[in-house]
Amino acid sequence: MGVPGHRLDAMFNPKTVVVVGDKGPNYMWLQNNMPFKEKGGNLYSVQLDAKEIEGIEKLGIQNFTSMADVPELIDYALVAVPRQVSPFILKDLIAVGANGAAFFTSGFAETGEELGIKLQNTLVDMAKPANFNLVGPNCMGLYLPKVGVRFNNDAPIADDGKIGFLSQSGTHGIMFSLVAGANGMHLSRCASFGNAVVLDVSDYVDYLMHDDETEVIGMYVEGARDGRRFFETLREACKRKPVVVWKGGQTSAGARATMSHTGSLASDQAVWEGMMRQCGAIVTNNLDETIDVMKALTLAKRPAGRGVALLAQTGGQSVSITDAFAKQGFDVARFTDKTYAELESFFNIIGGSFQNPLDMGGTVQGKTETLQRILSIVEADENIDAIVMELSAMFAARQWKAKPETLTDMLDTLKTHQEASGKPFFAVIHPAHEAEYIASIQPEFHSRAIPVFASFERAAAAVKRVYDFHNGG
Amino acid sequence: MSFADVLARARAEGRTLLSEVEAKDVLREAGVPVTLTTLATSADEAVTQSEAAGYPVVLKVVSPDIAHKSDAGGVKLNLKTADEVRAAHAAILKSCSEAVPGAKITGVAVQHMAPQGTEVIVGMTTDAQFGPVMMFGLGGIMVEVLKDVSFRLVPLADRDAGQMIDEIKGRPVLSGVRGQPASDIAALKSTILKVSEFVAQHPEVQELDLNPVFAYPDGAIAVDARIIVSAS
Repeated sequence: MGVPGHRLDAMFNPKTVVVVGDKGPNYMWLQNNMPFKEKGGNLYSVQLDAKEIEGIEKLGIQNFTSMADVPELIDYALVAVPRQVSPFILKDLIAVGANGAAFFTSGFAETGEELGIKLQNTLVDMAKPANFNLVGPNCMGLYLPKVGVRFNNDAPIADDGKIGFLSQSGTHGIMFSLVAGANGMHLSRCASFGNAVVLDVSDYVDYLMHDDETEVIGMYVEGARDGRRFFETLREACKRKPVVVWKGGQTSAGARATMSHTGSLASDQAVWEGMMRQCGAIVTNNLDETIDVMKALTLAKRPAGRGVALLAQTGGQSVSITDAFAKQGFDVARFTDKTYAELESFFNIIGGSFQNPLDMGGTVQGKTETLQRILSIVEADENIDAIVMELSAMFAARQWKAKPETLTDMLDTLKTHQEASGKPFFAVIHPAHEAEYIASIQPEFHSRAIPVFASFERAAAAVKRVYDFHNGG
Repeated sequence: MSFADVLARARAEGRTLLSEVEAKDVLREAGVPVTLTTLATSADEAVTQSEAAGYPVVLKVVSPDIAHKSDAGGVKLNLKTADEVRAAHAAILKSCSEAVPGAKITGVAVQHMAPQGTEVIVGMTTDAQFGPVMMFGLGGIMVEVLKDVSFRLVPLADRDAGQMIDEIKGRPVLSGVRGQPASDIAALKSTILKVSEFVAQHPEVQELDLNPVFAYPDGAIAVDARIIVSAS
């Protein structure tokens, strides 16, 4: 649905997209956006260079040599022209009343050189009075998986995206999109916003917090042009939905001139940390942490408390999974007497244990009915707010390879449990000596929407961040 | 003196650094707990004020030209008699004028020497991106070496002050360790919130240190205060 009436709504839900200045032999931007055309959108090219036009038309794309000739109202333009040309293109876009444009073009203030700064100021001086939605410059622009607008040829097309993602860096925006996709998660809308000279990160956050297709917001950000506005916007967004902030540039830019002790301690990173906590944002430090917490947020139910049931396959892993969750402040709770009594009736305690953590490998032995029974009993325990289960590549990979149905039966059991349960479920599978094979079965987890993590520590950190978000940090 | 008067005087004199006496006056007016500190312009005044404050007392030089009072020999602690106060007064004037030749010495600040508590720091600075921000940390080595401090943007809500205290690594120290009494967390929270209110009301305040604040099982008090205001 988007956000009717919002200044970014037309750009984020485009019907007509124009690529300005694309070049052969690859025509990267037109190729990226072919799915938009295939899905029925109007995809056009604006290119003056006669030697490029033939190649563009060969792609089946209608080319215009003037912006004014484009037959529909432009919702979004991707501009890839030399920097000196960019003010002329912007002038034309404003003149035709386009709803927005991303300038892939770089070489502006980020170079620190006089011409770049001057050109950037020219863009700002033109765009601001016109209230024009300029994304960038020096960015990869928008990625809208549902309508097929993309900033990378490998980025998935999907209409079930829940994550809105914003990135000051093009690389991190693309990489997050690809890695999220590889982990079975799709994006609702994404913007790589580069130098952010007109639209700043707060403008995009404001859209995503109101967008009902976006359940969770994530962002990679290095700074904000208007810090106070970012603080207010982020705080408001966190009241509406989970917001994950991966703050880049964590080393201090050097000591500031200050006369106070407090001033000398107020590094950029320290103040950001405080600001983010004050807003109630989920703070991450890198791509992996960001992906992990997105899994916990979008694929699992909410943990209501700190009580966790830990299900491991062996004694050694029972200790390790307990260490990982205890270090994050979780309570590896005692089960109720009822739970013990029920588990006792069938649990194989020779080489196993039905205390929390459960050492259940010898009891389950691949029998999905037994696994199902354990999950139901533990799930019903009032001391338990979440279940985390270890799957062992070390022990089971040989069997899963030989009889793939043993894997899929188990995953179906987990899926059924997860869907029926009101409590969150998390799976952990360390690749052990089977990295290639374990990578190959990841889609089995994703197609069932089972959140799976590569280590106990990563699972524990992700669940902790989600718990803190829902319980006021 | 009101904040407006103090600010006007500092600006008239071309100062951005308020004296300790001025800083404590405006903070006390804002409800921030600070040790009562008075300005003595002679040895006799220092003795009279010491007796009013109650021994033991602390004497500190007041000079717009001396930023680091201890380094200049401008601080004398734990003075228990009138004679000690006179001797300390003379010693401060002598060592400060030697350490910073030509320094204008306004006088000497006199205060009762508060009993040692758990040392914390409460401060404020103006961040280039976010404007006024508050800081909290444990005093001494925790802040100097480990930079174990937390920040929040002004104005703070009650919850923010609580989280600032709770998120420092040294938090268990405030609950009492090795037989030390627990600190009054409510008093620390209230101090943070009062300072946040004070700086929110006075955008001229650019930086502020309460360092240290002594936290006790019952209450907390700032024994030193530093305020830097904008030049105009």
